[in-house]
Amino acid sequence: MLVFIFRRLLVAFSVAITVSIVSFMLLHFSGDLAVSIAGPDSTAEQVEQIRIDFGLDKPVVFQYFDWVWSALQGDFGRSYYFQDSVMSLITERMPVTLTLGAVSLALATVVAIPLGVIAAIKQDTWVDRLALTIACVGQAMPSFWFALTLIVIFAVNLHWLPAGGSSTWQHFVLPAIALGYYATPAMMRLTRTGMLEVLGSDYIRTARSKGLSETSVIFKHALRNAVIPVVALAAVELGFMLGGSIVIESVFSLKGLGQLAWDAISRNDYPVVQAVVLIIAVFYIVLTLLADVLNAMLDPRLRVR
Amino acid sequence: MKKLKASKFAPRRTLLSVLLACSVMGAVVPAMANKADDTLIYAAGLEPENVSPYHNNAREGIILSRLAWDTLIYRDPSTSEYKPMLATSWKWEDSTNILLTLRKGVTFQNGDAFSADDVVFTFNYVNTPEAKVVTRQNVNWIDHAEKVDDYTVRVVLKKPFPAALEYLSGPTPIYPAKYFNKVGIEGYSKAPIGTGPYKITKVMSGEGVNLERNENYFTDSPVKKPAIGKIKFQVITDPDARLAQLMTGAIDWTWRVPSDQADELRMMPNLQVISSETMRVGYLAMDTASEQQKDSPFQNKLVREAVNHAINRSALANELVRGGSRPIYTPCFPTQFGCDSSAAIEYKYDPAKAKALLAEAGYPNGFETDLYAYREMDLAEAMLGDLRAVGIKAKLHMLTYAALRKEQRSGNVPLAFQTWGSYSVNDASAMISVYFKGGADDITSDQKVIRYLEKADSSVDPVIRKENYTAAIKAISENAYWAPMFSYSSNYAFSKELNFTAYPDELPRFVESSWN
Amino acid sequence: MSESTLSLNAATSGLPVVPEWRRIMNRVVGHRGLLLGSSILGVIVVLALLAPWIAPHDPFAQNISQRMIPPVWHDKGTWDHIFGTDKLGRDYLSRLLYGARISLSIGLLAALISGLIGTTLGVLAGYFGGRVDAVISYIITTRLALPVLLVALAMASLVGGGSVETVVVLLGLLLWDRFAVVARSTTQQLREAEFIASAKVIGASTSYILIRELLPNILSALIVVMTLEMAHAILLEATLSFLGLGVQAPMPSWGLMISEGKSYMFFKPWVIAIPGITLMLLVLAINLVGDGLRDMNAPEGRN
Repeated sequence: MLVFIFRRLLVAFSVAITVSIVSFMLLHFSGDLAVSIAGPDSTAEQVEQIRIDFGLDKPVVFQYFDWVWSALQGDFGRSYYFQDSVMSLITERMPVTLTLGAVSLALATVVAIPLGVIAAIKQDTWVDRLALTIACVGQAMPSFWFALTLIVIFAVNLHWLPAGGSSTWQHFVLPAIALGYYATPAMMRLTRTGMLEVLGSDYIRTARSKGLSETSVIFKHALRNAVIPVVALAAVELGFMLGGSIVIESVFSLKGLGQLAWDAISRNDYPVVQAVVLIIAVFYIVLTLLADVLNAMLDPRLRVR
Repeated sequence: MKKLKASKFAPRRTLLSVLLACSVMGAVVPAMANKADDTLIYAAGLEPENVSPYHNNAREGIILSRLAWDTLIYRDPSTSEYKPMLATSWKWEDSTNILLTLRKGVTFQNGDAFSADDVVFTFNYVNTPEAKVVTRQNVNWIDHAEKVDDYTVRVVLKKPFPAALEYLSGPTPIYPAKYFNKVGIEGYSKAPIGTGPYKITKVMSGEGVNLERNENYFTDSPVKKPAIGKIKFQVITDPDARLAQLMTGAIDWTWRVPSDQADELRMMPNLQVISSETMRVGYLAMDTASEQQKDSPFQNKLVREAVNHAINRSALANELVRGGSRPIYTPCFPTQFGCDSSAAIEYKYDPAKAKALLAEAGYPNGFETDLYAYREMDLAEAMLGDLRAVGIKAKLHMLTYAALRKEQRSGNVPLAFQTWGSYSVNDASAMISVYFKGGADDITSDQKVIRYLEKADSSVDPVIRKENYTAAIKAISENAYWAPMFSYSSNYAFSKELNFTAYPDELPRFVESSWN
Repeated sequence: MSESTLSLNAATSGLPVVPEWRRIMNRVVGHRGLLLGSSILGVIVVLALLAPWIAPHDPFAQNISQRMIPPVWHDKGTWDHIFGTDKLGRDYLSRLLYGARISLSIGLLAALISGLIGTTLGVLAGYFGGRVDAVISYIITTRLALPVLLVALAMASLVGGGSVETVVVLLGLLLWDRFAVVARSTTQQLREAEFIASAKVIGASTSYILIRELLPNILSALIVVMTLEMAHAILLEATLSFLGLGVQAPMPSWGLMISEGKSYMFFKPWVIAIPGITLMLLVLAINLVGDGLRDMNAPEGRN
């Protein structure tokens, strides 16, 4: 087990390094940085000075190590657009995105697991089919369109919830539905498959034959085992959500990381873009690592391929 | 929060109307803006890249500038009269020297007393290259300012500049010398201080600015002490998100609502909408000067004329922009001094002629190009359609304003849909000279035009000024460097609880607003 | 994207058998989802192909005096513009029909490119195993760690966005991961199969084995992935265009139509409802076809 975790950590670490190279290259493909930093009114000498000041005259490899070294110390450089360091912009926006991710995930879990359980118990009845249909239709809806539809119906017409902003918990409800919805089908299917697998296993047959009540069998024994891979999947989904929140944040004008990245992209503010890409990727790497470890931990009994 | 008129929304017999029927059940959203907590929340889409007024040229920046800063002279928006503000009197000593007497007893919002040192510092600082002032035309007519005594200043002009008072009452707010020197531009942009009627309490990049009434505001100011206690400026980039927030009561005020939406908002019981023509002109700019555009079709005058004939100005003004908008043919707004409409050619909407001109220029099948724009994608698309109809197939690139300006100054923009509101300065120099006098934003570099404008901008004789502006307009129009298209109207939409007056200079003055 | 690789492995783990024609037909007809999906998809494809002949108007022709006409079922609708007109007076139905071509071609081409990349990597990893596998798995993991949408947006803005070709290449380069995962696992299962072994015995070259023996046998699994990625690419294109970095105006991309109609959504909801529902139908149909094909490949029922 420890060996597994160690090997997995090693992979995660090297992936993180590769990702950092990719995000660094992103900046370097965006044109002459010295010119970008100096601004349009600058003279050739100013540009040269900046090239030296910012170490842009050094070979790219050195620049990369400089960047990584500062990044490890929490310094991602300065935004071209704002009079601010990238790190302080990110720490300002991070809480909104994390809250959004957490609420979305919670919502998705609360919906997906019961639906999956019911679908499994009532396998091949209309309930099962309805759940699968919802999952299928849901995955086909473009998220930005779903988000707009939510605003039109629940914010503007019904006045139930705010249309944008992030000052109270109510502000997070609609965006979380819009973002969490896409994680629901996969989690529901996995719960259903897991439940079907467990319910058909010898272990449950034994429990039943011991005369335990059906409720106890389902909730105490079956669900407990079926739910762990779902938790692992949830971790991965959270990673996707952080990356996908860009659309939802822009539609609901939430000032989170996604919106920051989007604004930065449209302003060619590449120091911010690469930092956000790297941070979201690292989140994803850590979350998948956790998921893998979680899956491995319960592998011996259930996860036999 | 009143209920919206529900029937307006739903197409018949849809799920939506069923849901609407349930909407009687309850509105649970608490009202967050407005009267109850004496906080006016206004939302706009652009964010000044720096709240320091000399370091942005966004209209949203000017609004803030008028809230938190004062100028030496004040121009009354209704009478156009000049009134004393930070200066109590002024006098032209000769054509390049203005002597101003300053007001005593004014303090900056941090408690520092206002004196001649601040004026001298501000005007000298903004003319240094390190200051990197964004719109140099606003300040580069000043050679320097000198202190005569603590409350007397002399502003020395580089050469005669008749519009000086106009500029002293507009884009030249006074900074606190001591504080600015202490914190530098970086610190200043995060915690700016002025003498104005509101004090900026918080600057949140990407989010907005919080302001509070300046309780120590000097009582003799032509701007009365404001009625509303707190103001929040919120950046909401998406125009539809702004509307949604307005309709749900999360914000009190927004502007630049497209006329189609304004018409719908007018019907709502909790909102009011006012529209008026503004000094802002929408135009197509064609790059003929940059190295990168050497082979651009727009180098050819016939092509530029074709563009002018291809654009259906009256459809843009009367069908899309509406609310007082009209076709424009001058590279300036007709009420501005020197903006002689008769000097400009009225290029008629004539697609056939445009095609013929293109054929004559060697493009019988048209050509492909790129159109850059930063606001009103629907208007940009209407232009695309007009151009396409004559064979100019343009791809649209929507950028932020700052990005567009950067790209254009770097010479990467063959064709741009741009707008200019002249900083509300009622003088042709505020528009033509910005774009045709050889500055950073001049993508034409016509030496003849530059000479006309230099003459016009530096003469004190109104006749000479007029003559030269007319000549410049004529040259610009004959060469079809631009395709001026239409004037803007502005639709302001705001809560019924708010008293708000709009002015033609497109500058919301929240200082004058109050609650109903 | 949200489908995890876990469930994917499970879904494709059964050895793909090639059933005889009649049995396929029976199962297609018996499989309602597949039937429904392929009918909708078929209709959309036919309409897209015939767009130049059946579109009632030129999708680019603007007529500002005829703007914002509501669809025919609305009180003020007319049969001349069945789905009404947009804010520039362009016929909505015609734009929708031409938009189908954009969505379908981007979906198909992007899936083909990503299929080529992903399958090559996956097959190599699965067949050779060992170090090759380690390296390729590593590339796959890295690719999975990158937030697709964010990178797509950043790249689109770097290259200037715009044309259909750019979007196709961009998505093709980003969406190959699932192909690689599936190709790798199916290849691993077949590596030791008898027909591969006998091909080796008669001295067939590796490329012959991979292309002529192995590929046909993993093709059915790959086609399932193909449908998923097509749907994925179509949604991503719409998202990019919606955010302004995909297909550019005045092209009638459905995502762009929603983006342009957005300012009318509070008062004239059909403007975003029509392209939104169409987009959903197309993606749903492709997903149904994909699910159906997967069920038919898997020996026992669904999932």
